[in-house]
Amino acid sequence: MSRSVWKGPFVDAYLLKKAEKSRAGGRNDVIKTWSRRSTVLPQFVGLTFGVYNGMKFIPVLITENMVGHKLGEFSPTRSFFGHTADRRSKRD
Amino acid sequence: MVRTPETPKGYICVGVIIGPYGVKGGVRVKTFTAEPSGVAAYGPVSDETGSQSFEVTVVGKFKSGVNVMLSGVSDRDTAESLKGTHLYVERDKLPEPDEDEFYHSDLVGLPAEWPDGSAFGIVRGLNDYGAGDVIELDTVDGKPVVLPFTHAAVPEIDLAGGRIVVDPPEGLVSSAKQDDGLEGPGK
Repeated sequence: MSRSVWKGPFVDAYLLKKAEKSRAGGRNDVIKTWSRRSTVLPQFVGLTFGVYNGMKFIPVLITENMVGHKLGEFSPTRSFFGHTADRRSKRD
Repeated sequence: MVRTPETPKGYICVGVIIGPYGVKGGVRVKTFTAEPSGVAAYGPVSDETGSQSFEVTVVGKFKSGVNVMLSGVSDRDTAESLKGTHLYVERDKLPEPDEDEFYHSDLVGLPAEWPDGSAFGIVRGLNDYGAGDVIELDTVDGKPVVLPFTHAAVPEIDLAGGRIVVDPPEGLVSSAKQDDGLEGPGK
C-alpha cells in the first residue's frame, strides 16, 4: 500500500533543515547524509548530497527529475567492477 | 569457476565465450562493451595469448550478450572447446573519444593527486548511478572515495603523463574526526 497523500512526502526533518540552511547560505558544500529514506523535495534541486551506501558517500547532484524519488535510489549498496571495454564518460 | 586472465597491455577485453550456440560453430559471448554488438565493431578479436584470432559476425543476442559466428569455427565441438576464452581487441582500434570524454579503461589505475601535487589515491572505476557520472578512488590510506566526474572535482586529466588531479568538493572528503556528530536528529 502506498503512503497516504495527506501525510505529504517523508523527509527527515534535520535533513530538510540542513538543506534549507545550505540553500540560504548559498554554499555549494556536499551535504553528507545517512538518510537514504528521505524523499527528494523540489527545494533540494541544485544541491549536492553525499548519500551513504554503507561504505562511502556517493555524491548526488539533485535535478528536477529526481523529485519524488528517495535519496537511497541514487546510491546503490552493491558495486561491481567488471571489464570496462569501450565504455566512456564525459566530464561535465 | 573460470578465472579472469590478466589483460595484456595495450589490449581491452570485450567479451568472454560462455558456451556453444547451435550446431554450426556458433558461440555465446557475454559482452563487456557499452552496446552488446560492440564486440564485433573493432575488427578481429584475439584470445589472451594472441595465438588465435577471429573475425566476429553477430547473429543474435540474449540478455547479457550476443550469439556470434567466429571465423575458422565451423562445428559445435570446436565451439565448445573455446568456452571460457576471453576476447581482446587492441586499445588503438577504439575511435578517438570526443572532447572531454574519456575511456574508462584509460582512467582506471591512474594515480590521483591533490592540486598541490601530493598523492591522493588511485582511480578504481567510473560509474553512473543515475545522478551523473562519478569517479571512484581508493585514497592512500585505503579508504574508498567517490567524487563527481566534473571539471570542478577533477580539474586535470593528464593521460600522457599518467595522472589526474582531483579537488574534492567541500564536505565530501574529510577526516573521521570532522564527521563525528555531523548529522542526526537534534544536531
